[in-house]
Amino acid sequence: MNVSRLATTVLQYVFLGTAAFLSIFPFIWMVISSTNKSIDIISGRTGIGDAFGINVANFFSQVDVPLVFWNSVKVSVLATLLTIVVSSLAGYGFEMFRSKARDRIYALVLLTLMVPFAALMIPLFMMMARSGLINTHIAIMLPTIASAFIIFYFRQSTKAFQTELRDAAKVDGLKEWQIFLYIYVPVMRSTYAAAFVIVFMTNWNNYLWPLIVLQSNETKTITLVVSSLASAYYPDYGVVMIGTILATLPTLLVFFVMQRQFVQGMLGSVK
Amino acid sequence: MAEVRLTDIRKRFGALEIIKGVDLSIEAGEFVVFVGPSGCGKSTLLRMIAGLEDISSGELSIGGTVMNDVDPSKRGIAMVFQSYALYPHMTVRENMGFALKFAGMAKADVDNRVNDAARILELEPLLDRKPKALSGGQRQRVAIGRAIVRNPLVFLFDEPLSNLDAELRVHMRVEIAKLHKELKSTVIYVTHDQVEAMTLADKIVVLRAGVVEQVGAPLALYDDPANTFVAGFIGSPRMNFLKANVASIAAGNVTVALTSQPDVHLTLPIAASSIAVGDVVTLGVRPEHFLAQGKGDTDVKVKVDVAEHLGNTSYVYAHVSDEERIIIEHGDVRDIVSRETLTVAIAASRSFLFDKNGNRLR
Repeated sequence: MNVSRLATTVLQYVFLGTAAFLSIFPFIWMVISSTNKSIDIISGRTGIGDAFGINVANFFSQVDVPLVFWNSVKVSVLATLLTIVVSSLAGYGFEMFRSKARDRIYALVLLTLMVPFAALMIPLFMMMARSGLINTHIAIMLPTIASAFIIFYFRQSTKAFQTELRDAAKVDGLKEWQIFLYIYVPVMRSTYAAAFVIVFMTNWNNYLWPLIVLQSNETKTITLVVSSLASAYYPDYGVVMIGTILATLPTLLVFFVMQRQFVQGMLGSVK
Repeated sequence: MAEVRLTDIRKRFGALEIIKGVDLSIEAGEFVVFVGPSGCGKSTLLRMIAGLEDISSGELSIGGTVMNDVDPSKRGIAMVFQSYALYPHMTVRENMGFALKFAGMAKADVDNRVNDAARILELEPLLDRKPKALSGGQRQRVAIGRAIVRNPLVFLFDEPLSNLDAELRVHMRVEIAKLHKELKSTVIYVTHDQVEAMTLADKIVVLRAGVVEQVGAPLALYDDPANTFVAGFIGSPRMNFLKANVASIAAGNVTVALTSQPDVHLTLPIAASSIAVGDVVTLGVRPEHFLAQGKGDTDVKVKVDVAEHLGNTSYVYAHVSDEERIIIEHGDVRDIVSRETLTVAIAASRSFLFDKNGNRLR
């Protein structure tokens, strides 16, 4: 190995090492902080403490954990499944069916990506209020179901779907919905897995919109509860960190379970 | 097996007409090959027969029944695709039995048909594998097996050998020919490879820009092409075309002089009355029909560009003039070198004459 190649390799490792450290540092800090008292965290203590048990007990005494988790899981899983069904059907349709209006409608769909959520909040809130959906989980899920980004992602991935498979299925006697269900969905399962990870994480971490529409403690999700702990008059940061860890675990679990398909799906969508 | 009739079949995409009125009759049990260059409409025509493309106008009948608006699965056809189109999430067995299972056939009957097809195609050891674990040739056999199990009236093949390497292509070509003899089914086969067309077909349909240029048996097309397009397309290497002028016409004979070498005259037995002395015509000579100097009816001098010696034969790439490049096939001469001037002979009996529009003069 010559000197310039060695230097390049070293630089690559330094860059990757730094990036990896910066990515993982908040997690390490979160875990360490969860073992310390609030006062130690504020004073900048970086060592492992002995308050983990107390923090966990305090968290469970302050929060109805099963209810909050159930709310988050229900909202995230349902919204994710509905988003994937609606958006994959739309992506399939945009790619498979030729029409004069197709590209214009698709451009309009993509244009919605440019509208910031802040501009939509008030109209959406008024719509939900008029529909009597404020303080319900349906109000959180409805605006997320038709996701322009996920439609775009599915359409791009569908470009790699062999159209001859669709032709073969037609010759085999399948109707369009059967082709979608029996051929497209199983063939594109990596794409679905990647979409599931992306949409689930987005829904699980969703904060602003649930904060606006959910008003009672019985309907609140984990992100709202952790946030309310952090914004108390005297926040107990040890307890907040326990909440943050618990709030992070499901997304980590989903990602690690679907990691292989996620990578395959992401590669497929950019091919 | 069933006969297929196409009557004034047309396909339009908006104002653009892709298939321009095809009339064709395919008899039961016949092996018909659609051949033509890329974009000639051969695959579109096949997809229209399959029901994968709508027919803009005209009538398609299979086995005496008009099929224009019938669902692809109810036309009595089975199709083999260029990319095999095997369902990647299913095993070979599931791929082959899928259409039958979907049509509601009993599992035992599906298994019997799949096993029979697997035996014919020697796929039995591969039945439980997924397509990704198969080679290109094996995948192609599975695709053919998937078609066989349906017992179709008509097999449709869309460039099925294009994705295989040269050796496997020859092997699969023989397999398809054997299979046709065994099943005695009607086959419509699309290819751009004229060697495949010549070796497999009972009847070749040559297409250009959505129009049928000529229909006939392979050797009939080779021996008696209707125009310069068919003459150039059928035969490999392609036919050489030399510009000529009509020098004289007398008692069923036409004498032409090469434009590039006016002293070279050739008299051909042609009765056509549509030409006159002085008309520009095209003389067609296949590479394999050039003869040694003095052995034909007239001699032509050519300048050799490159000579390729393949062992059993040699191809000489030469030019008659700056614009007219030709290929000569020599079976027994191995000492031809570049830039050499060569004299070869042309025989009137193995030459073709075409008018200025490219139509054959007989």
